Formats: sequence, C-alpha cells, structure tokens
Amino acid sequence: MNGDDFVLYEEDVEGIQQELARFLSEAQANCALLVHRSGQLVAQSGFTRRLDTTSLAALAAGAFASTEEIARLLGEPEFNVLFHEGTNANIHLCLVGEQAIMVTIFDQRTTLGLVRLCAAETGQRLHQVFARALQRDLSSERAVVGLPTGDLFRQSARGV
Amino acid sequence: MASINYAQRQISCKIVYYGCAMCGKTTNLQFIHDHIPARDKGNLVSLATETDRTLFFDFLPLEVETIGGFTTKFQLYTVPGQVFYNATRKLVLRGVDGVVFVVDSQWERMKDNVESLRNLDENLAEYGLGLDAVPYVLQYNKRDLLNTAPPEYIEFLLNNREQRQLSFQSVATTGGGVFDTLNAVCKLVLKRLQEKHG
Repeated sequence: MNGDDFVLYEEDVEGIQQELARFLSEAQANCALLVHRSGQLVAQSGFTRRLDTTSLAALAAGAFASTEEIARLLGEPEFNVLFHEGTNANIHLCLVGEQAIMVTIFDQRTTLGLVRLCAAETGQRLHQVFARALQRDLSSERAVVGLPTGDLFRQSARGV
Repeated sequence: MASINYAQRQISCKIVYYGCAMCGKTTNLQFIHDHIPARDKGNLVSLATETDRTLFFDFLPLEVETIGGFTTKFQLYTVPGQVFYNATRKLVLRGVDGVVFVVDSQWERMKDNVESLRNLDENLAEYGLGLDAVPYVLQYNKRDLLNTAPPEYIEFLLNNREQRQLSFQSVATTGGGVFDTLNAVCKLVLKRLQEKHG
C-alpha cells in the first residue's frame, strides 16, 4: 500500500452522507457520489438503485485523471469541473479537495447553475470531513484485517 | 491506496494488471469475469478501440467476505500495453495496492517484457512507490505456445530482484493459472494491509 490508506468510521460516513443528502435537497439533483481519485466509491446518496455506481466511480475517476493530464499539457493547473449534457440526464463532476471527486447526476428538474453553486459549497464542507479521514494517524489504529486460509476466489463454470 | 470502512464493514483494494501489449491482461479479466459467480462480481467495463485493443483501462470489481466479517472489494484494472499509452498507464496506477505483471512468454517478446517491467517501476516512482514497495506477482502467460522461453529463463530475466516474487505459469485464454495468480496477489495485498493496520 502506498501510505495513503485511509479508515472511515461511522461518524465519517454519517458526516459525508449528511452532506450529500443536504446537497441533493438543495440542488434538486437525482443522486451524488463521493469518489476517491483512485476510483474507489466512498459514499453515495439519492436514486442510485438502477445505477452501477461502482463502475461509475471508476469511470469518473478515469475521466478526471484524463482531463488532469490534458490540463497539464495545456499549461493549466487543473480543470476543477467536468460537465456532460445528455438527453435525459446530465453529469457534473467536481473536485473535493485534492483527493476526491463529487459526481452529481441531475435532469431537467434543476439547472446546471444551481448544481454548480451547491456543489461548490458542499465540496468545501465534504473536503473537511473527508480530509479528517485521510489525515488520520493510522499508527495507533488497529483494523480487523483477516487472512483467509484457503483461496479467496474459486473458478466456477462459465456463466454461473 | 486501500480503504477500511468500519461503518459498512468494507475493505477496498486496487489491483492492476500490467504488462506489454497483447500479453494477456484483458484476457485474464475476461476469464475471471466469466468464471466467477454473479454475486461476487460487478460488471466488466472495457474502454477499448474498435479492434478491441485496450484504450484506457478494463475494470472488474470483485467482492469476497474475509475473516472478521468484513467484505473485501478487489478492484481489478488493466492498463493499455502499447508503448504510446504511457501517460494513461500512469493514471491507472494511481492508488494501486497490488500488481499482477503479465509476461508474454514468447521468445520474441522478451525485450518488450523487460521494457514493460522497467516502465512499471518508473511509473510507480511517480507516486513515490516502486517495485520494492508494492506487492506484486508475475504471471508467465501463453505457456501453450510453441516458441516460449523456459520459465527458468524468464525468472532469471524478470524475477531477479533481491526479493523474489511469486510467479505462476498461465494460459489465460483457457484459464490455466489465472485464478492462482488472482488469489496470490489478493492474499499478498491483504497480508500487507494486515501488517500495516492489523
């Protein structure tokens, strides 16, 4: 592990969930995800039942990483926001601090301007909550990480 | 960069399959996806060109319950192997916890394998890491072909660091060695996590 491992406790998750729920209410968006820039989904809120949020998190992080490199090539420090407009749904991605991305999916019930405004405010509050977890001194933390004695994954028949 | 979520009792780790072009990285993930029960896996996402060459990455999330009642999620990624995609390979390595280095066992690919391993070490260094810091295993793929170098030679060429790594022979197209490799790298990652936080 690269030393940036982080641990989330219940109070961290509760804090993040509260901020996301508040954001959805204010921005009138459908759902929001908090994603680590490595592609890990940290938290989600809203109508996510029909979404493959795991894949969405990985792709969002990939998209952001890609634009980070484009920004560097253009001499820009970074692009803080990505927005894609669809026919029925839109997606807005913005940085939360330096380590996370907030992904918002919204439709015609709200506006890009409102989403951007609320996302900027929420991002600052989320950054404080998430930064606490990232900066936590793990030297005294003891997590329950067990090692299995057998194989973790077993090959099954195709298509099972 | 692993995460431990006590609230949801989840551990998440990122494993990257690395290697030269056409060595079998995507084939590994495709085989794993086809041969793991639906309850233990998510969708296989492939960002590829029209000719099925990996353009950005493949992504396959796996899930297993480990000791302590925690669900461990392993997020498997591949990188594009073609030389000119180096910038993309660097992006995919962000937050990596373990690596499977896939070797194309054919004699004529040995130079590409060596270059790819060197490239991996360089790209890890951009994140302050290196092959000495990240758990990895080697997979000597395409063992079914006729013009392959002996495993002993590949060991000499690629597994010659102070700390020898686990290596596995494989035929990813038919699955030979694929799950052995996967289980080995996952256990190495968990072991490292346990040493750090257990």
